[in-house]
Amino acid sequence: MSESKFRAAVIGLGRMGSTFDDEIEQGGQFFMPYCHAPTYTASPRTDLIAGADPHAEQGEIFADRWGLERGQIYADYREMLEAERPDFVSICTTARLRAQIMIDAINAGVKAIWAEKPFTLSLAEADEVIELGNRKDVAIAVNCSRRYNVFFNEARRMVDEGELGEILQITAYAQCNLSHNGSHSIDAMRYLAAGDVEWVFGEMESDEKAAGDEDLMGNGYMAFDNGARGFLRGTPTGAAPWEFDLIGTEGRVRSLAQGMEAQYYRWVPGGLRDQGLPARAPFPLPTQIPSSGLSVIEDLVDCIETGRQPRCSGEDGRKALEIAIALRESHRRGGRRVDLPLADRSLRILSVEIREDAVPARVRRMQRN
Amino acid sequence: MSESTYRAAVIGLGRMGSTFDDEIRQGGQFFMPYCHAPTYAASPHTELVAGADPHVEQGAIFAERWGLENRQIYADYREMLEAERPDFVSMCTTARHRAAIMIDAINAGVKAIWAEKPFTLSLAEADEVIELAAKKGVAIAVNCSRRYNVFFTEARRMVEEGELGELLQITAYTQCNLSSNGSHAIDTMRYLVGGDVEWVFGEMESDEKAAGDEDLMGNGYMVFNNGVRGFLRGTPTGAAPWEFDLIGTEGRVRSLAQGMETQYYCWVPGGPRGRNLPARAPFPLPTSIPAMGPAVIEDLIQCIDSGAPPRCSDEDGRKALEIAIAMRESHRLGGCRVELPLADRSLRLLSSEIAQDAVPARIRRLKGRWP
Repeated sequence: MSESKFRAAVIGLGRMGSTFDDEIEQGGQFFMPYCHAPTYTASPRTDLIAGADPHAEQGEIFADRWGLERGQIYADYREMLEAERPDFVSICTTARLRAQIMIDAINAGVKAIWAEKPFTLSLAEADEVIELGNRKDVAIAVNCSRRYNVFFNEARRMVDEGELGEILQITAYAQCNLSHNGSHSIDAMRYLAAGDVEWVFGEMESDEKAAGDEDLMGNGYMAFDNGARGFLRGTPTGAAPWEFDLIGTEGRVRSLAQGMEAQYYRWVPGGLRDQGLPARAPFPLPTQIPSSGLSVIEDLVDCIETGRQPRCSGEDGRKALEIAIALRESHRRGGRRVDLPLADRSLRILSVEIREDAVPARVRRMQRN
Repeated sequence: MSESTYRAAVIGLGRMGSTFDDEIRQGGQFFMPYCHAPTYAASPHTELVAGADPHVEQGAIFAERWGLENRQIYADYREMLEAERPDFVSMCTTARHRAAIMIDAINAGVKAIWAEKPFTLSLAEADEVIELAAKKGVAIAVNCSRRYNVFFTEARRMVEEGELGELLQITAYTQCNLSSNGSHAIDTMRYLVGGDVEWVFGEMESDEKAAGDEDLMGNGYMVFNNGVRGFLRGTPTGAAPWEFDLIGTEGRVRSLAQGMETQYYCWVPGGPRGRNLPARAPFPLPTSIPAMGPAVIEDLIQCIDSGAPPRCSDEDGRKALEIAIAMRESHRLGGCRVELPLADRSLRLLSSEIAQDAVPARIRRLKGRWP
């Protein structure tokens, strides 16, 4: 089995499904191939065999770009699932439809799902997808891609091997709507802190925003079950764009400026009154820098073979959403700590990316430019 | 008036009053002279005329070190105030007695008080001292000394001149008990932000500690009236010791490792997708680096002359204490936001420096080092 090639299909043939990599001109946050079609094309483990999108123009561009026949492009993803029987399915549509498509794909018998973020809009949707995925043994990886980025992987390895000592603090300066790119920042905090969040305190950008279900910016304090504490600044961060700061008793890792730089500090003897000094040392790179997308494929193939959960699993996607919603609940309750998990599973955040989703994101983007 | 020399006395002749500077071997956090007696001895504006301390040994060391006669050393500070009529008085005793001594000094007619931190133990004490000082026109500077440190004053100048753009965030990684060294951490956050705290959320190191009045470590989130948000990590910070991070739309200043390094970043064109880059640039130093103690003296002399509040005023001391107490209240209330000011003025924090204060801190410190 492990030597055969998996049949891969993409649902949603727009920016993340097809052309996102064209926008990236510098490594650090991403290493190519990163997004879905380029990855399936490059991977020795997959054949890209179909795409589905209700917008005909998207399908044509996709077929031309990735060398598919017109017959391999479907307007209706259900037809595609039925006709092509893919092993891998990427879910790159608007988040509005993501849960339903994942359910249909699982029921159609796929082996693995590679889903864009946010995982779902509501907690109930997330619960349903995860339960069904577990029941049918489908591996679901959510594309919170820092888990497949070598700098973050090395930071986590340093945590796991005790090189940073006891983990005390994770801070993120990451301007974001809490569902949309907040799913990245919150998941990266969980990944680096290597723990689960027990309770949060949050302040949203406004009372009005907090009262509604639309995606919104906010800040939060998180108490992890391993003793670490987290601070997320999701409101504007000015001259500190997308930064993660992981602080332990013996060392520290900072990921700066959207991943363009990673710094490592270790605690050495010396300093004022011999209390020790934080000395900057070279960040330890592994001997190979894997592509982000190919790492996802390898992870999912291993999950199919072993039954384990992906590095960024459906459960991780649900937890990022639940933390975001709990931060908003904290604000709604007048500024009060909120314990996880949340009892009310109907709670949801309408990720900002579903706005105007009658027109594909790539087309909107091109129209803007 | 400003050409004359002021008569200065120190109450509490121990570590901060006399010998703290001996411990410091590197600049950055401190520039010498820093503590009280060395500053009065060095300043052209002051003459050190007396000291008071109930511990005879402290008085003897002080007299010898600073060239005073034995009769200039008093066991009872009230006698000293009465006999010497000082213009300046430094409050370097345990914080347990600070409020009472400040009140006695104000009533004795001093012109200026230079008080160690924390300002007081309770809010009611702080209220009483501030009200009395205002009534009698006495200038009180609290020694939250980063306000007199050139790296912090330059950061504040950059804020005021708009060089960092609109301020967004202040983060402090400063392991501290919230009254003892938390008075430094919280005051510095307020100073850099240039705003006042409207409400806080806090988590203390434990429920047990939060329930009591003893000094304690904790973390907090602060909402400033100018829109800035603050995060204080006062629980252990490991490899990030005493760091302040001030972030604006156009620039950023980081004070690292107990002030040993200060970094400046400005927002420049470039970067992925043309979204700009935070570029590190040299931190702009002023043309002279003032000693911190003499900077306090000059500040207080201006206050005596003009009636303006000192750069770190009694009000600043009260606000640092009130923020610390509010963060503890937040924990006590089960983790909810707490608005300032606090209605209950009996609330207090028994600063960790008053523990074991029957023995002077310097002597405890010496015993600890050479048991």
